[in-house]
Amino acid sequence: MKHYLLIAVVLLSFPISTTRAQTPDVMDIVVKTVEAMNYAGGDVKARIDMRIIDSHGRERIRQMTMLRRNETAGYGPQKYYVFFSRPSDVKEMVFMAWKNTDRADDRWLYLPALDLVKRIAASDERTSFVGSHFFYEDVSGRNIDEDNHEFIEETDEFYVIKSTPKDPGDVKFNHYTSWVDKTAYLPMRMEYTNKRGEIYRTFSVQTVDVIQDHPTIIDVEMEDTAMGGKTALHYSAVKYSIGIRENIFSERFLRRPPRDYLR
Amino acid sequence: MNFLTNFALAAPRAFIWGAVVIAFSLMALVAAPTLSPTIAQFLQPLSIDADPENMLVYDEPVRVFNRERKDTFSLYDLIVIGVVNDSHESGVFSIASLSDIYDLAEFAKNIQWANKQGEIEGVVPIDLITPSTMEDVRQAGPGAVDFNWLMDGPPQSEAEALEVRDRALNQPILYGSLVSEDGRSIALYIPITSKGVSYRVAQQLRERIASYNSGDQYWITGLPVAQDQFGVEMFIQMGITTPLATGLLFLLLWFFFRNLTLVASPIMVAMLSVTITVCLLIATGHSIHIMTSMIPIFVMPIAVLDSIHILSEFHDRYPEFKDRRVTIKHVMSKLALPMFFTSITTGIGFMSLNFMPIPPLQAFGTFVGIGVVVAWFLTVTLIPAYIIMMPERKFKNFGINKTGASGEAKSFLHRTLPALGAGAIQYSRPILLLMIPVAAIALYGASQIVANDNPVKWFGKEHNIRQADAVLNNAFGGSYMAYLALGPDQNAQSLDLYTDELEARILTRELAKREMLASLVRDISKTVTSRTELLSALLATVEAQLHSAKSDIEISAWEDALSFLDIERAQTEIFKDPDVLSYMSKLQAFIEQDAAVGKSNSVVEIIKTVYRELISGEDADYRIPDSAAGVAQTLITFQNSHRPHDLWHYVTPDYQEANIWVQMKSGDNQDMNRVDALVAQYFIDNPPPRNLTHQWFGLNYINVVWQDYITVGTAKALVGSFIIITLLLMVLFRSILWGLLAVVPLGFSIAMLYGGIGLVGKSLDAPISILGAISLGLAVDYAIHFVMRSRDIAKEQNNWPDTARNVFGEPARAIVRNVLILGVGFLPLLIAPLIPYKVVGVMLSGILILAGIATLIILPALMSLLEGRLFKFRPTGVSS
Repeated sequence: MKHYLLIAVVLLSFPISTTRAQTPDVMDIVVKTVEAMNYAGGDVKARIDMRIIDSHGRERIRQMTMLRRNETAGYGPQKYYVFFSRPSDVKEMVFMAWKNTDRADDRWLYLPALDLVKRIAASDERTSFVGSHFFYEDVSGRNIDEDNHEFIEETDEFYVIKSTPKDPGDVKFNHYTSWVDKTAYLPMRMEYTNKRGEIYRTFSVQTVDVIQDHPTIIDVEMEDTAMGGKTALHYSAVKYSIGIRENIFSERFLRRPPRDYLR
Repeated sequence: MNFLTNFALAAPRAFIWGAVVIAFSLMALVAAPTLSPTIAQFLQPLSIDADPENMLVYDEPVRVFNRERKDTFSLYDLIVIGVVNDSHESGVFSIASLSDIYDLAEFAKNIQWANKQGEIEGVVPIDLITPSTMEDVRQAGPGAVDFNWLMDGPPQSEAEALEVRDRALNQPILYGSLVSEDGRSIALYIPITSKGVSYRVAQQLRERIASYNSGDQYWITGLPVAQDQFGVEMFIQMGITTPLATGLLFLLLWFFFRNLTLVASPIMVAMLSVTITVCLLIATGHSIHIMTSMIPIFVMPIAVLDSIHILSEFHDRYPEFKDRRVTIKHVMSKLALPMFFTSITTGIGFMSLNFMPIPPLQAFGTFVGIGVVVAWFLTVTLIPAYIIMMPERKFKNFGINKTGASGEAKSFLHRTLPALGAGAIQYSRPILLLMIPVAAIALYGASQIVANDNPVKWFGKEHNIRQADAVLNNAFGGSYMAYLALGPDQNAQSLDLYTDELEARILTRELAKREMLASLVRDISKTVTSRTELLSALLATVEAQLHSAKSDIEISAWEDALSFLDIERAQTEIFKDPDVLSYMSKLQAFIEQDAAVGKSNSVVEIIKTVYRELISGEDADYRIPDSAAGVAQTLITFQNSHRPHDLWHYVTPDYQEANIWVQMKSGDNQDMNRVDALVAQYFIDNPPPRNLTHQWFGLNYINVVWQDYITVGTAKALVGSFIIITLLLMVLFRSILWGLLAVVPLGFSIAMLYGGIGLVGKSLDAPISILGAISLGLAVDYAIHFVMRSRDIAKEQNNWPDTARNVFGEPARAIVRNVLILGVGFLPLLIAPLIPYKVVGVMLSGILILAGIATLIILPALMSLLEGRLFKFRPTGVSS
């Protein structure tokens, strides 16, 4: 019921444009969106406060610093380094990923208490990111060529895109719909629909800030009705283009965090 | 009491039609809310309740705790499906079988619907335990860990099918639960939103299963299915056995009284009594529970019983008077008082069930009690009214002087009963002496009674549910779920104490903000109720300070405070403490030694498995990490899987409480009781770290609690009503001795009943416990008739031998006819596939026979022994 209400609100608030001259190129929007969301600034450092709220309203927190570096200009391979600072028992834990656009990403986990570096070889990228409602691929960005993208409509503020996976057996959703801001090219809302036609996961952006000329998501939530509850991310201390060295995204630096970047 | 009969005789049509109209109006009242809910919305619709949990009131602490814990750990009742294949060499681990199993899991995900309130009911897809929905965290070559579904889709080759098996066997949490220990069978666990939907879900699953043809056997069981199935079959049984019993009663009555029109009258009285009672039950908002479903079966014999007394006396006296009105008036003058007494005492016997704190038994007792009163009223009015309305010619050949087929039966009773009476009097001393060892054995037997129940055993051995139960509990960890909640001792968790300690610790630290932090602790401690809340509030405050801090010095000072508090909080997370986890692990190993326990799962298995796969994948590394941080990081690794939420079935996110899922192979209360006691003793013998406390919950444990109530409650109810009935009879007879005498057959029947149950080793379950009440009602009934008629006759005869001879005439015949008609009339219950109905059938017949024997043998024996004290015969010679 809640979802129908949400859709209704969304539809009412953004009346469909009837004066659309021509259909914009859908792939152009998709690429611009992924670039605005995940590639801004060549590299970035940000602090992330994660609040995981379960179906009972019980809250857990995670605090981390994320470093991200693009390997090429625009959409292409990139590297992530996520350093955990809270809660205390996962302090100094590191999650690292090399995002590949042509094959599955490479992921590592460093567990300081066990003095262990592990490569994660998951069957897919739709595993939970550290117990949150975000999947790993929600954080790193789903490869754009995994889906067929379809332009649905253009409203005053948004391009509405429907994305259907090319390999339906691979994922648990039937399709997802994105509302992309027409100026910032950020997906302000994404709804995942299951095979029964029910929306069960909702990604929604609450706050956007312009930092160093880049429209940047500050507050975002992922709600999951199948599992119950939601996860909220708050980005702070966002700094673009700080010149992060490539060599820190290596197994060697998992055990020896680059303190100068993490301060 | 004769005035009621006289009214009825004056206006017979009005009484009969009145009763019929009342019964039909009540039926309409009951049917209205079901047939037309909008018009009759103020009335209660018929509802069925087969949930043994409702044996306890909703607010019973054990139920409250159960609901709370189930909510805390997001646990649902489970339908268990065992899949077995005896013909394939690898059991169900073949392409064909696993493809079906995959299909069934996908199908189960969609068994959902919206109920009238718009809530989604049915299966809870997120918590399905099936090969395709379970995560398999494992080594993937050196230095890598793989998060994968155990079975991503139907296997493409036989080798792939076997790989699914091997991987499942290697997962301790799945071994014995999802895959059988012999690696040949699979069990699926289907969580459902509530027990009430289990039959509907199971039916949909059965339909789907029917379309498979890989030669697999699918067995569906689990307490919810059994209970819901019982509810459905209960109704069928009511529909089959009640008419059968009625038909047989009719035949027996006809055999004894040889007048079809006449013998229809007790049946009419019985059916009207049952209808009115059941309609009142439903109309007052009671649901049909397994206990209350037996109301018709209980009201029926009681209603017929009084009628038989009237018909029997009428039948024997009619030839004397040759006039219906005169005969019936004469009969009622003899019987009105005993019938009134017996109805009161029977009513009290059933009302005594209100002593038990078990709502369905209270409803049962109350409404059978009401049924008794209704039956009494209808008997004393409608039977005479009916006789008067019958045409005189129907009685032409009626009565004792008529010879024929029934003449033998009559002559048989006429011949044997006086002999029986004479024997009882002649051998009164040996009979009573014999009663001493009999009573001793009965008491010994009663002391051997064990209370035990298992809703699955309510079905006969041949029933599909029982077979499924046997198959599943043979191959798997068990289909009966009990849960052991572990948590901190709240008393040792005193907030005041902790506040003082925390403040002291802060002040000893090198923290720039220690003074401020200490005063924050003081202030916040006044507004919170627990340690966890205190720390959460402190952390939030310090975080806010950190965010608003401007200078680097301030920022670093608050960061230090924050990390200090973080460590404090980590220390409250008791279920990350390796000592606690290893205690749990040993406790589980201990529980699993019990024969009834098949398997236990907890956060320990998750931690050990993930740790093993992180380190080497070898058995040697199947252990708990050495530090709390090691545990935390193992668990956060697990949370990178597809099913991170699985963790919260076993531990709360604040790690303050944990849950051990204990799969039991038996649903017998005795077994649960034993495991409960063993665990309690384990906690005493092995004091747990951090003052852990434990408390059971889950359906299997709830059953134990109400069973205990039934055992104690049965004893209390029996003793209570026995005393009340004795006192009542003393008042009614205006004699202590007569009062005591009249309850002797009652005491005998109850002692024999429970002694017999104890001796044959039948456990005391809910249906048997209520049989005590009916034995109370029926046994005292015969005794009252016997005693009252003896006293009446003694006044006429003025000596004991003649009195006895007369009592063993018509009054004794009425009792024997009663025993025979009712004893045989309830045997149709034996064909019911539901055990409680069978038990009631056998026991009811047994009780009637026992009560008859006690009344016709022990009572006269006692009376002849106590003749001098009981009777005040006028001196002979003076009498006329």
